[in-house]
Amino acid sequence: MNDARIDRRLFLRAIGGVTAGVAAATTLSACGTGTSRSVAGGGKSSKTLVVRDSGGTYGDANKKAVYDAFTKETGIRIEVVNIQYAQMLAQIQQGRPQFDIIDDSMSDFLRFKQADATEDLDYERLKNFKNAGIAKTLVTSNAIGKNYWASVMAYRTDAFGGKKPSSWADFWDTKAFPGARALQGLDADRPVLEFALLADGVPLDKLYPLDLDRAFKSLDHIKGSIKKFWDTGALPGVLLGRQEVVATDVWHGRLDALIKQGSPLAYQWNGARRQSNALGIAKGAANLDAAYQLIDFALRPDVQAAYAELYPMAPSVPAAYKKLSPTTAANLGSSPEHLKTGFDMDVAWWAENDDVVAKRWQEWTHA
Amino acid sequence: MAVLAPAPVSTAPVPGRKRLSRALSERRTRFGLLNAAPVVVYLLLLFVYPIFSILMLSLKGESGGFTLHWYTDAFQGANLEILLTTLRISAETSLLSLVIGFVLAAAVSRLKPLWAGLVMVVVVVPHFISALVRTYGWIILLGEHGVVNNALTDLHVPGAPFQLLYNELGVVIGTTSVMLPYTVLLLYAVMKGIDRRLMAAAASMGAGRLTIFRRVYVPLVAPGLVNAGILCFILCLGYYITPALMGGPKQTMVASLIDTQVMKQDQWNGASALGIVLLLLTFAGLLLLRVLKSAGERYRNRGTAS
Repeated sequence: MNDARIDRRLFLRAIGGVTAGVAAATTLSACGTGTSRSVAGGGKSSKTLVVRDSGGTYGDANKKAVYDAFTKETGIRIEVVNIQYAQMLAQIQQGRPQFDIIDDSMSDFLRFKQADATEDLDYERLKNFKNAGIAKTLVTSNAIGKNYWASVMAYRTDAFGGKKPSSWADFWDTKAFPGARALQGLDADRPVLEFALLADGVPLDKLYPLDLDRAFKSLDHIKGSIKKFWDTGALPGVLLGRQEVVATDVWHGRLDALIKQGSPLAYQWNGARRQSNALGIAKGAANLDAAYQLIDFALRPDVQAAYAELYPMAPSVPAAYKKLSPTTAANLGSSPEHLKTGFDMDVAWWAENDDVVAKRWQEWTHA
Repeated sequence: MAVLAPAPVSTAPVPGRKRLSRALSERRTRFGLLNAAPVVVYLLLLFVYPIFSILMLSLKGESGGFTLHWYTDAFQGANLEILLTTLRISAETSLLSLVIGFVLAAAVSRLKPLWAGLVMVVVVVPHFISALVRTYGWIILLGEHGVVNNALTDLHVPGAPFQLLYNELGVVIGTTSVMLPYTVLLLYAVMKGIDRRLMAAAASMGAGRLTIFRRVYVPLVAPGLVNAGILCFILCLGYYITPALMGGPKQTMVASLIDTQVMKQDQWNGASALGIVLLLLTFAGLLLLRVLKSAGERYRNRGTAS
């Protein structure tokens, strides 16, 4: 009997441990990284600003062009974290985000807005915003556009006997431009239904709201020629380079290295789908003042230009083009010429229809 | 892997209760229990609790309350198709890696240790390379203008170039190569443990090579085959990267679907339901393993009795 009691006591102790630990486990599983930063960090942490960005070469360019220059000018240190949307949201909802500033796509900011996870921006505190002429689609209540990126067509210049596909209609025309294609799939980003509609003759300014039936019908025409719906940004370059396909859509910039090495590849800017990355402030951010300072700094034309020279993402501030070299400017999505031939993705429409499109896309691919 | 270890031989069942209390009174046992406590707490906290919350999440309706909606959703339309595809690809993969693994392990188990080690390194090392890089390797090898197709075209093989990527064949080639180390290692261990004299004895009794293989060798390796096959199947069920990179639009696996639901659609409930379905399939696999094992044991016992 004595032994049994010891056993039970052990068991009870274990249960006690569980209840005590549940709280810890919730935090752990919620934030993933498991390191929530204490808000009450004292005077020392106010000198450090934490920015979330998506890392990679994008993050490297951020560091060189924006963060390091900012630290030099203000003395405020910058730390970077690379975590995904779901983790950010979980941290903010726990009340202790690891980060102050979010550098993320405008679409994610819309979702943050709906989840009430970001501060409303006080534009009075951004002096570089006034008279900067930033496009209206890039100015929302909780985020300000920092730069554009674009999905564009890319093709092998040696594939069509000197002919160039000049529109999505040409891309869809597998008789005039024979060869296998690739298109971005659901796993990479929102499906490129807009391209299907443009190919079917819908004008640029009449795209939204997207006509799903028409888009999928148009996609039906090309389905048989699509070898791969790519799911990672690096894949289109490999597929084109290995001649697996002769044309695909690609996140602009991904082929720059290959083109520089002499691969016979080219972009086609006509019908480019532009999206933007923006800056916003997380609810519960520890350093509001410094956060505004950094956002303001990132909107300065010279900083914007310095960034675009390093990474092929286009400035949101038009004045930056005055400081850019002509070759860089010609390869950017917000150059005056490309602004006309492309379109801005309507993030609000997509946010509302993501589920419907995802479901329909899955059914379409499995049909 | 621990779950796949043979079931512990049950302690004599007749005086069970007495035995248990006697065992508990021993200092060593008490000490052992005390030592096990941290692990138990650890597992409860980091394994049982999260799975339990996932289960709760999968039963929660969009406006709270209990619902089975996410499960009916998981077994409908494209989702059902994806589930069946996952099962089919997993089955094909485990079958193929069993066959290749068997041949490879049988060959390796006859080699000198040095050569055997070398072959093992060749089988295992590719898996230290990042999946993405490995996949680009596959493109170079299997693509339309890849090494294999170029060779086949040069040899004027009718029908070449074949499509070896972005369809189910591509996925199965990829997943098989990923699963191969598991089957080879498992089968190799079993084959190494086989007493070669048994084969010699069978031969001395006049059995032909095929008979020896069929009646002696395969039954001895069988437990390893069952283990390896089911391990492969279970690992494949949750596999993600290779099918996504080497498959076409129709080779979506459940794991990708879960990823899409969580990361793109914020649909945690549906993803949880799919996760639970995967977990149950895994359990079903383990159950099958036990059933096959006990069936095999019964079969063997009958052999000795008659």
